[in-house]
Amino acid sequence: MDNLKLEATKYTPEIAFDCENHLLEIIGESYPENIAEFYAPVFEWLEAYLGQLGTQDVTVNMELIYFNSSSSKVLLDLFELLEDAVDDGKKITVNWIYEPEDEDTLEFGEEFQEDFESLTINLLEKSS
Amino acid sequence: MISELYEFKKYLNKESIFFCFSGPVSQELLVEIGAILKQKIKLEDAGNSTAIRVFSMVVEQAQNIIHYSAEKCPKQYPSKTGEEISIGIIAVGYENGHYFVLSGNMIEEEKVSRLQNKLTGLQKMNKAELKKHYKEQRKKGPDYGSRGAGLGFIDMAKKASQPLEFDFKKIDEKFSFFSSKTVI
Repeated sequence: MDNLKLEATKYTPEIAFDCENHLLEIIGESYPENIAEFYAPVFEWLEAYLGQLGTQDVTVNMELIYFNSSSSKVLLDLFELLEDAVDDGKKITVNWIYEPEDEDTLEFGEEFQEDFESLTINLLEKSS
Repeated sequence: MISELYEFKKYLNKESIFFCFSGPVSQELLVEIGAILKQKIKLEDAGNSTAIRVFSMVVEQAQNIIHYSAEKCPKQYPSKTGEEISIGIIAVGYENGHYFVLSGNMIEEEKVSRLQNKLTGLQKMNKAELKKHYKEQRKKGPDYGSRGAGLGFIDMAKKASQPLEFDFKKIDEKFSFFSSKTVI
């Protein structure tokens, strides 16, 4: 399958999904007006990727400076997809990267940790 | 009006409002409003975390206007091309050591009681209850008629330092004007 690469815009993050190196990155801000339209191809790619994935180690880097409330629902759906894959025997590690002093993003990361016990979510403060 | 513009500015100052927009709201406008607010708040040394919090309130409020305002341009609704712009008010101020965001738009009368119940419910919740409610609502998914995740007001209440304030003013049989205030 092909890699998925979407450049960042002012209100959508960069999506860099690399299926050769098993590195999936979401970086930037997320507050599109039409959330479903932006994330539909992202989920489509992810489902196809997880479907054909073996036991390789996969790293997911999430570095979101800001996301709105409807993006938060999308993140929940994304984590559910990843956790289902882990329960299915896949090896996935998520790095939740937040800016120093950004308590809100850190708190979101902690809440996702509570919600997804079988998924490894590391909370990493970005070095400035 | 030209002679009253300065009075209008003085009125905004008196209410501690440093930013005010009234008119058609778009996603692109929201980006630019966000940029200038972040720049201003950073210059005031309020810290990145505060700047992002104010920005997040403005995003939720502006997207509520975009999705739910009953006042549209053009007035013939739906328009021939299907394209339309939502109209509303957004204001940002600073008082007693806190930034606040005001937002207002027309809504259909039949939507008033449901929104009122939802917001009254949020006002009564403490931080732990808001967190629990947010998680439950996010898991459950949006209510019928919602164009987002249905989480905007809960998210604002969670991030606010004081309970949400709101008001409904009946305009006529069909419409009310909905206003809300969130304090960061």
